[in-house]
Amino acid sequence: MTQQRFCDGIRRRDMLRFGAAGAFGMGLTLPSLLEHEARLKANGVDTKDTSLIIVFLQGGLSTIDTWDMKPDAPSEFRGDFTPVSTNLPGIHISEHLPKLAKIHDKFSLVRSFGHANSNHGQADHFMLTGYPSGPGFNGGLKPNNQKPCVGAVIGKELGPRGGVPPYVCLPRMHNSAGSSYLGSTATPFVVGADPNAPDFKVPDLAPPVAVASRRLNDRRSLLKTINRYEQSAITQANQGARAMRTYQEKAFELMTSEATKAAFDINSEPDVVREKYGRNMLGQSCLMARRLIEAGVRCAFVNHIDWDTHYNNFHVLKNELLPKLDAAMSSLLADLEDRGMLDSTMVLVTGEFGRTPRINKDAGRDHWGPSCAIALAGGGVQGGRVIGASNERAERPATTPFGPADLMATIYHGMGIDPEREFLTPEGRPVPIVPGTGRVISELF
Amino acid sequence: MRRPRLLFVASLLFTQILFVCAHGAEHTRIAVTPAQVSLEGKDSSMQLLVTGYDAEDNPTDLTHLAKYSFSPGYISVSRSGVVRSRKDGDGTVTVEFDKFTAVVPVKTRHTHARLTLNFENDIIPILSRYRCNTSGCHGKAEGQNGFKLSVFGFDPVADYQAIAMEGRGRRVFPGSPQASLLLRKMSGGTPHGGGIPIPRERPEYRTIRDWIAQGLPVGSDEDATIVSLEMTPRQRIFKMGETQQLRAMATLSDGRQVDVTELTQFQTNSPNQAVVDALGHVTAGQSPGTAAVMATYMGRVDVLHVFVPREETIKSYPSSQQYNFIDDHVLNNLKKLNILPSGDCDDEQFLRRVYIDTIGTLPTAQEAREFLARKDLNKREQLIDQLLVRDEFSTYWALKWSDLLRVDRLALGHENAYLYYNWIRESFQQNKPLNQFARELLVAEGPLRESPAGLFYKAVPSAKRASTLSQVFLGVRIECAECHHHPYDRWGQKDYFGMQAFFTQLQYKPSKVGEVLLASGNPVTKHPRTGESVNAYALGTVMPEQSPEGDRRLVLAEWMTATNNPWFARNVANRTWAHFMGRGIVEPVDDVRLTNPPTNPALLEALSHHFVEADFDFRQLVKTILMSATYQRSPEVNPTNERDEQNYSRYLFKQLEAEVMLDAISQVTGRPEKFEGVPAGSRAIELWDSSVPNYFLKVFGRPVRATACECERVSEPTISQVLHVLNSPAIQKKLNHQDGRIRAIATKIADNKKAIEEIYLICFARYPNENELEAAVGHLENSDDRQLALEDVAWSVMNSLEFLFNH
Repeated sequence: MTQQRFCDGIRRRDMLRFGAAGAFGMGLTLPSLLEHEARLKANGVDTKDTSLIIVFLQGGLSTIDTWDMKPDAPSEFRGDFTPVSTNLPGIHISEHLPKLAKIHDKFSLVRSFGHANSNHGQADHFMLTGYPSGPGFNGGLKPNNQKPCVGAVIGKELGPRGGVPPYVCLPRMHNSAGSSYLGSTATPFVVGADPNAPDFKVPDLAPPVAVASRRLNDRRSLLKTINRYEQSAITQANQGARAMRTYQEKAFELMTSEATKAAFDINSEPDVVREKYGRNMLGQSCLMARRLIEAGVRCAFVNHIDWDTHYNNFHVLKNELLPKLDAAMSSLLADLEDRGMLDSTMVLVTGEFGRTPRINKDAGRDHWGPSCAIALAGGGVQGGRVIGASNERAERPATTPFGPADLMATIYHGMGIDPEREFLTPEGRPVPIVPGTGRVISELF
Repeated sequence: MRRPRLLFVASLLFTQILFVCAHGAEHTRIAVTPAQVSLEGKDSSMQLLVTGYDAEDNPTDLTHLAKYSFSPGYISVSRSGVVRSRKDGDGTVTVEFDKFTAVVPVKTRHTHARLTLNFENDIIPILSRYRCNTSGCHGKAEGQNGFKLSVFGFDPVADYQAIAMEGRGRRVFPGSPQASLLLRKMSGGTPHGGGIPIPRERPEYRTIRDWIAQGLPVGSDEDATIVSLEMTPRQRIFKMGETQQLRAMATLSDGRQVDVTELTQFQTNSPNQAVVDALGHVTAGQSPGTAAVMATYMGRVDVLHVFVPREETIKSYPSSQQYNFIDDHVLNNLKKLNILPSGDCDDEQFLRRVYIDTIGTLPTAQEAREFLARKDLNKREQLIDQLLVRDEFSTYWALKWSDLLRVDRLALGHENAYLYYNWIRESFQQNKPLNQFARELLVAEGPLRESPAGLFYKAVPSAKRASTLSQVFLGVRIECAECHHHPYDRWGQKDYFGMQAFFTQLQYKPSKVGEVLLASGNPVTKHPRTGESVNAYALGTVMPEQSPEGDRRLVLAEWMTATNNPWFARNVANRTWAHFMGRGIVEPVDDVRLTNPPTNPALLEALSHHFVEADFDFRQLVKTILMSATYQRSPEVNPTNERDEQNYSRYLFKQLEAEVMLDAISQVTGRPEKFEGVPAGSRAIELWDSSVPNYFLKVFGRPVRATACECERVSEPTISQVLHVLNSPAIQKKLNHQDGRIRAIATKIADNKKAIEEIYLICFARYPNENELEAAVGHLENSDDRQLALEDVAWSVMNSLEFLFNH
């Protein structure tokens, strides 16, 4: 990982270290499981197979240099890169995304997208929850959610599928990935380690090294004998104890099941696949996300943090970031399709905002919320579409504008979740999962 | 306010028609209410209720089972017993069930005359009933697709504006009502994101159509207003799974009574005992207990008290132990529910339970040995007395109240937060009467260093002070009323701002002795909607001509902590009870309202009375609860109470709180947890700052102190908690530590049985039984490494439900 700084001077490594302590915590409860099943039946909705992968390019992807190029704009806007043709007639994207250009039929772009916030933290919250942050927002908290992250809603609404947790963050948790008033049961399971690291391993998922597998078996059988309430009617009659016992069974399943172990065992991927995705944190996280979805995860949230290109935007994008994105995203889409998973797996690629169309004095671009194209694929989203347009300098949408609330409505629509659904806050106040202005970007489907 | 115009006018005679049948096997008679129906005006209706009675006069609802035949033309009757007028005239409804018949005369008048409608009384209730103005639809702050209504219709003027004038008037066309966008959207004529809430054939559709055709009348101030809402029945004993149709009648200011069942919203507070559908049809659940089904219409509420006993009566209810008045009230309730309580818990259970509940700490092995060895009869009481004066008692209760009173380092800064915390802790250490504690906080003033209770006002934003104090000290949630009338309670915006006005004098001034809190001036509080000034007044009291002179908070404090305050003592009693018993008598504990009644009103009353009599002595209250047979019940279940989690028939499992569990693990392993910025050896329950980073505490649901809600502390287990205790390297390290307790046992206790015994005593406060001993000793004997084998045993013990829960 590089040692670049965010514009506020905090090194990302510091943020990671600061945040990592509390990065683990997801939960499943029986009540919500049952509730979910009942609701599905009642609605006649079949959502058992929908999933979401978020590839979040934190810091802010320069969309004017990638998805929404403006070759005819004045030179202080258009930048160094040349648009190239894609496999869609008449559609061009950046020359530094050559692999994606060849498979544009697999994903779509919304170019008339934007929002009114150009601050880190606040914009992140907006993009990941659909709600602008309110008074008292503290972006430095982990989580900082005033409203639940889309992943938490999906986990809560769709519930677990198989022995894996429904909502997983990797490699670390984004500050706005929390569950807010949905409570600890909807918080993400955080991988908490870089899948590209040679010694990659999920904390707490395996017993400490000191405990050999034979010892684990001993411990497990001891646990059965020495536990006064193990199989008793008392446990059955107490909700919390019943749930805890179920989780213990699930935990042992997670720890011992070959499927889960396999999902996290990224080393079992053929080298050629790993190379294709790219031997870096972004690439391997995308690969891991695909493995997790395959194992039953509902929402895999990949957070990649090097995109705040105030300085040397073109150099950094060209030589470092875009090749990684190109490899990771193109491999992910192709891989999902090959495995027949693309129809049921939505993929969202976005930053918290775009970057200023006008190039700054450091050959960089600053924060720009009002216009930032987003890329979507799968899960019902048709590939090969380009929705809307920004104005001639990519400063703002020129056609019907879409924003974070619309994005949320669109995702929930694709996931088979009613965008009108409300949750109750701890005070008993109902809050809709999509704020009032949100509407499905129907052109995508 | 204006009053509902009479859409549905019906005058009623509530006498019963009785038909006694000679052949009745189960039912001996049926009764229909009302005995006569008089429907006046267009689209008026009446919900009939048909009840069958057995020989002992126990009622059964037959409304949905009876057959209805009626004089055609004049009226119609639905299968669920709703009579509707069609045309003027006199007719009858014949109700048949089994061998029984009842005839109800029906008069219909003015069937085709639509009186002038009133927007607030006739139109808004429809928008509310179909949830058009909820916060999920047009009621949200920004509206929905450009159409915004006030949430729950609290602002009729704005709603009228939105419907009649905004959108260039295209929402309503008086010249051609059917073409109005409002009607087309709601009835499916035009695509509507909210579906088709009111199809064309509904009477509500016709009402809105006619209101548009009448030229959108606002209505007159002379129109009769709603005075009260009454539900029938209001109390009912249900068999499990039994159903009951409800009828809601509004009494108007001109004395008339109208059936508003179809426009009333129904809601249950306890779905395990009863659920209710949109039309007021209640179905009892399969768990014995009580529930309240709430009806709301135009800001008025009424409640059906549901009582669901187990079906099988217990013929000779055995006498069980009663230690104090608590047990009388609990047993009375259990008797009515046909539930037998579990027996007395054993000393081992009591010991561990009372330590954890009272001081948030496990007993040591030595304490356990001593207590279990004692034979004297009053040893439980003596133990309780000892615990109440332990240091950990104040520490533990300071932690709990610091959550509620928001000791928040991020908001207050390090020094202030610590001062504030210490004031709370010392209050519990001195056993300050809780009314005095509340008063000191309410009226705190002067230099914060000398009066740290005043830091409350710094920790809580000014707009939230009234609602936070109300929720914490009274258990009453008024936060909703900041923006609109509380949907399920009597509080309006005026009440909210009346409370808020007590705190508007407060300001912080710098001085030589640090920051000073002052209450000065005579600021005026305005009602945000009407603009009228609101003087400071307490909930449920009358607003005075002017706000109190001087520091207004003195008046509030006087009222709140008086012995006859309707909420304060009950709230503390209920919260404390909930802590020990795992469930409040009112649940959630901080949501006291008419529509969320206590499950055992007599018990709550008695506890509250006791607390007042004891001069708000908190330790006395705790002791009384702990001394009851109810607290000292076994967690064992019997066939009568296995489904009861509501009525205190057994001790309910409670997961150890985050801090308590971490301390327990540290105590068992003999390895204290290290916290950043806190002296070494500090325990988790001693952490006054809830933002001290700790992975374990976070995973186990420590609250962040962002709200006044008790619910911030999460007690639901999660899979990550389980994984963490199973696999955490940090816990393994504690188990394996050179200076840890397991190593001490391994090296100092040579006898395997004694070693296992020691682990059981420190974890469970009991001796192992023979099977357990055999399994554990067997594991030690089969192992080459005694330390590792003991770690395995301790690990297994710490992952058991017996360890993770209080029981």
